[in-house]
Amino acid sequence: MKCLLVANESAEVLFYWTDNEFEQRIQDQYVVSQEEGERLPAFEDSINTLFAPIIISCSTMVDRLGDNYTSFSTENNHIYVLHQFEECLYIAVNGDGDETEEDLKRKIYVMKKLTEIMFGMVTLSGALLRKELRPQDTEQRNRLWKKLRSLLETYSCLREHDQSFLVEAVERLIHPTLCEQCIEFLERRLVQQINSNVDRAGEEVQHAFILVHTKLLAFYSSRNASSLNPSDLLALIILVQDLYPSKVDLDDTPEELENSSVPDVFYTPEPSPPERESVQPRGDSPPVFQFVDPDVQMAEDSLQTLEVPTPDPSAPSRVFLEAKECPMMPHSMYCLSLWPGITLVLLTKIPNSHIALSVYYFLEAFVKLEKRLCEGHEGAAATRGQPSVQEQRGRLEKLIKGWASMDIQTSHLQNVWTDFKNKAFTRSGSGFTRDLLPSCRNMKTQLCGVYRQFFAAECMGSSQRLAPHLQERALNMVQEKLMDWKDFLLVKSKRNITMVSYPFFCIEYFEFPGLIHFIYVDRSSGQMIAPSLNVTDRTVSELGKGPLADFIKNKVWSLVATTRRYLHKGYATVTLRDGDYFYCYFLWFENEAGYKLEVIDIPSFPDDTAPIGMLTCDYYKKLLRYYSKRHQNEVVKCYELLTVHLGVIPNEYILQHCSQLARKLWEPSRIPLL
Amino acid sequence: MAETAALTDSRRCFFLYDSSKVQEEGDPTRDGIYYFYPEDTPIDEQELLCGQLAGVCRCVSELSSSPVRLLRLRKSKYAVCMKDNFIWALSCVVDIPDVSVCDLLDQLIALFCFYNGPVRQSYQLYSQEELALQWARYLSHLQGGSTELHSIFSCLRTIDSTHIDPLLLLKAALILQACQRCPLVLAGCILYRGRVVSTQMPPALTVKVMVYETQTFSQDYRVTDNGLSSFVGSPPSFTVTTQVFLTPTELHMLRCPPVDRACRSHCSQPPCQPHKSRLLSRTLSDTPTTDTDSSSLDLTQCPPTFYQTMPSSPRSSLSDEPCFSSSPSRVNTPLHSSLLNQSEYFTPETHEHSVSNGSNLCSVKEQILTGSLTGLNTKQDIDANSGSETRSEGLNSDQDIQSEEIKALTNGHQQSNCLENHLDASDRDNHIQSEEDKLDTNNYVTNKSKFQGETEEKTRTKSRQVEGRLKEKSEPRNAPPPRDTLVDTPLVPSVLYQHRVRGLVLALLVEPEFNTDPTAREEVHHSSLASLNGLEAHLRNTSPGTPGPPGPYTFAHYDCIQSTLTTNVCGRSAGPQDRAFVRATALLHSHFSQLDTLQEAIVRNAGAAVYGTRSTAQETYFLQQGTPVRNSGSPDPQDSAFSLPRKARQRLLKHGVNLL
Repeated sequence: MKCLLVANESAEVLFYWTDNEFEQRIQDQYVVSQEEGERLPAFEDSINTLFAPIIISCSTMVDRLGDNYTSFSTENNHIYVLHQFEECLYIAVNGDGDETEEDLKRKIYVMKKLTEIMFGMVTLSGALLRKELRPQDTEQRNRLWKKLRSLLETYSCLREHDQSFLVEAVERLIHPTLCEQCIEFLERRLVQQINSNVDRAGEEVQHAFILVHTKLLAFYSSRNASSLNPSDLLALIILVQDLYPSKVDLDDTPEELENSSVPDVFYTPEPSPPERESVQPRGDSPPVFQFVDPDVQMAEDSLQTLEVPTPDPSAPSRVFLEAKECPMMPHSMYCLSLWPGITLVLLTKIPNSHIALSVYYFLEAFVKLEKRLCEGHEGAAATRGQPSVQEQRGRLEKLIKGWASMDIQTSHLQNVWTDFKNKAFTRSGSGFTRDLLPSCRNMKTQLCGVYRQFFAAECMGSSQRLAPHLQERALNMVQEKLMDWKDFLLVKSKRNITMVSYPFFCIEYFEFPGLIHFIYVDRSSGQMIAPSLNVTDRTVSELGKGPLADFIKNKVWSLVATTRRYLHKGYATVTLRDGDYFYCYFLWFENEAGYKLEVIDIPSFPDDTAPIGMLTCDYYKKLLRYYSKRHQNEVVKCYELLTVHLGVIPNEYILQHCSQLARKLWEPSRIPLL
Repeated sequence: MAETAALTDSRRCFFLYDSSKVQEEGDPTRDGIYYFYPEDTPIDEQELLCGQLAGVCRCVSELSSSPVRLLRLRKSKYAVCMKDNFIWALSCVVDIPDVSVCDLLDQLIALFCFYNGPVRQSYQLYSQEELALQWARYLSHLQGGSTELHSIFSCLRTIDSTHIDPLLLLKAALILQACQRCPLVLAGCILYRGRVVSTQMPPALTVKVMVYETQTFSQDYRVTDNGLSSFVGSPPSFTVTTQVFLTPTELHMLRCPPVDRACRSHCSQPPCQPHKSRLLSRTLSDTPTTDTDSSSLDLTQCPPTFYQTMPSSPRSSLSDEPCFSSSPSRVNTPLHSSLLNQSEYFTPETHEHSVSNGSNLCSVKEQILTGSLTGLNTKQDIDANSGSETRSEGLNSDQDIQSEEIKALTNGHQQSNCLENHLDASDRDNHIQSEEDKLDTNNYVTNKSKFQGETEEKTRTKSRQVEGRLKEKSEPRNAPPPRDTLVDTPLVPSVLYQHRVRGLVLALLVEPEFNTDPTAREEVHHSSLASLNGLEAHLRNTSPGTPGPPGPYTFAHYDCIQSTLTTNVCGRSAGPQDRAFVRATALLHSHFSQLDTLQEAIVRNAGAAVYGTRSTAQETYFLQQGTPVRNSGSPDPQDSAFSLPRKARQRLLKHGVNLL
């Protein structure tokens, strides 16, 4: 019984996702409360009505108490988690015990991250985000919501089954030679060829990588590109997994279920829409109760027929990624399926993307100004810390003129800007006082509007893309290169490291008696190494499958949650004796040479801060920055190690294992991405 | 914006809200607010918070078809209880584990029901103002003076047994056993200065019984603050009976201990035997921590040495004064006597009481008891005092009538409840209540000091009102009990008997018939009075135990069964190491309560490493002080943090904590 919804301050639901159980529950409540013969309201209306009191109470609490709800739990263990981002209130609900409060909070942050990846700076304006998340056009809205729901489900599935999404670090295929060859191939052949081709329509490939399911085989970034941070990379993997769902996540479903499903569905290389639909858990058939209202019904019907506008296979997705200069830089993402489960991803810089920089520059300036004004600074004090006002004013004037000549609707912006100028710079105006606040906010909205016109996916000309033949060529080149490796890679991705089969650990297994599982994460690069837990092969040779594997998996999942809770409160070392097992967790810092740096007090955060991880708010990035303040002239790296041992092993040995393991794993983790 | 930020911040907040009072659109929220703490909160803010929280909780509970249990805000969190249109919410800082704050709210509600009966019914019988005083008292009892560790574990406050001769604990246990010879006595406990010395009751019940005692004790302290001697507000020795309400489970546990009750007269068994047997399986070193264990020692099984030290059977304990010789009487201190002089209300008789000790006092009492058991004493008292204009003959006769009524209605909980209110009210005004008055169960003394005339008058007026209401309601009382009780099962009226000797209190839960059975009262009173005096004298003379130089470690040992805490973290003057310890302990305790299979844990940050271990019966937390050796936090077998379990085992042995 799960639900996630996004609402704005006027209690309007901007987006919602529910599972069938939750939907049924809501319907049932209405069945009870409805008079005989009365029609059931549309589901969207029901959910709106039911949540409205909570949403309204939230804004009352914020306005009048300066505090807000963060969660409710009921006696039957239903959990409601609430979080307010700017003007949007996110509510996540779980009533089946699958998710903890922390999981729900994370889900909310992931949802936020996904909207940022999809809409970029538009998310900074509540009014625009509302339009973006809840398009007027029913068909468009349904398409978007379907996409978002599917992304959420993909994420939930990955978090539930994939260790790399559990710890939120990218897992790499451990095959140094192949990896190196591929990187070289991407650099010398692929990226170079595309970027020198005239048919690239002004786009320039900045990053290229190959995914085998969720694992990274090779990653190449061009020299002038700012690095892709782990948070964005993880989010992109979710997008790719959503486009080409891989069967790897369903590995530990029971046999019979596995047999009854049609495996081909998962392996469709060209995503022909009808087949993809069948994969998605929500399915197409609308629930019986839904949309009985004839008008809505019609819209739904038309959606049914129109809904499959053969998505243009060569059309890229618009994604907004963090770059050095601008936190939401527009990119185009091309996902090319090499074979089922193996995908080539190209990230290109699009023409005009420099405009994002200037928009961001001024947006930031207005945000700062607004903040200073709110704090009560006036006059020159309001603009302290920023370049000269006159200079900025001139730059903005020029920009607006330039945009006007670029087929962009700037009349609103111009009006608002004139209004701002009148207030701020003329004698009759108020000058830099609190009275300027509304104009300041209007400017922000208008700047976001310009950004949206330039970069929002549907606003871009449909022809803006790498020429289809160029994409095809790229696909063929890589297919050719990896043809012989294909099967190996698919197997390897499922048995990346196993406790016995991997030669490296074959030794380890005997060296570390009693060691059951471990996860090693390099937080500086956002990469992890861990033995595979869900092995599907029929040759069951070790802990890979069966109830024990399930048990271990559940333990590992809960261990990660536990250690995060302690880390959140500033504890970097945790050991637990739980039942027949002994768990260890360590977080430490090293310099580049592998010298272990002295431990420091990690800050303890209040409960309502962002969840620990890399996918959403990058906790580890902040942690590294915090630590680096003490080690200014050194590159600081951060590592984590989790281990599961049999409880009968004496503690001294367990600690010895951990220490040896950390030493051994250090080497493979240093294979550079580039 | 943020107009009442203080409310949701650090201050604890509690309210009881009746949503059935606010159903129509026009109903003002304030009608639903039965009680709000802090009481000085402006009504607008009260309405805001109650209205919002009640509304949102209702909405959520409708969505989930289940009442809300916990509500978190960014800066605080509320334990919530929703029943019969009532909503209770108790807030605390976010650092306190969820499980602790929920426990605390449950305890609070249970306390209210223990003394007042079902909530709905209480609010039908008494005014909100009267009950507000009750809530305030229970709140201050639960959070009063306790350290953060205490609020984490919500444990009983026990006497520091390390500074006390174990024989005294045994003595206390014996007194309780002696009381149980009276078949009407269910179980008891002995408290000294707000701390448990010995108890026969399960912890949840002991906490409830302690409320009254803590209240009186802290009141006396308030007097001290005013520059007067402590315990001046109350006579040195008196008894009170109070109507209380037990849940059927509690009553069953008290009435039907697994051991045959028939043999009780010669081998008294504490009623909570199931727990005890588990406790006995624990190590010997635990025994002195609390004394319940010793109370379970059958007299017949007592080794001869005990008889040597205490050459008296419980019966003869009345005369064991040589063994527990009394200390110089308090009255002899200049402060006290000066106060006595200025107070008009000490009749020669009560003077005698306060001076007398041991057998002397006993004989006085015996006289009185044999003389007259009913209103006579009160009348004497009143006559002895300056006749006040309000203390009319009518009032006295009212009281007489009431006493008749009470005798007629053996189980009249309302009357007794009312009586309790009298007592409370007069207690608050530091009135003297001589034990004889209490023996009569229905009279309250209206002694008057010149400073207290006004308040007293109020009290009296109020009590008359209560009496009036009592009469009004005496008829519906016979009607079937109201359906809307807090607990699903009805509460059973019972009686709490308390005998106070200065800082020492003997609290007994007794059958309702006890009130109307003078012989039983007399027997209990007689059998315990001298011993209590002796015990009090000894406890008073025991040095408060200067906390020796704190060891190079900090620990807390929580006994889940007895709900007691042993720790060397001293109160509020917690240093940084103690802070670190308390924080880690809160986290670990919360983790232990969530995960049954978790046995031990070590958590470490740069400053401190804390080791926690638990079994079904206990939780122990240990921190080794001193700056840890430089380490990197990376896995290292040499790391000192991992030697904590060994150190804890060694160090805690001398505190009676056995982790082996």
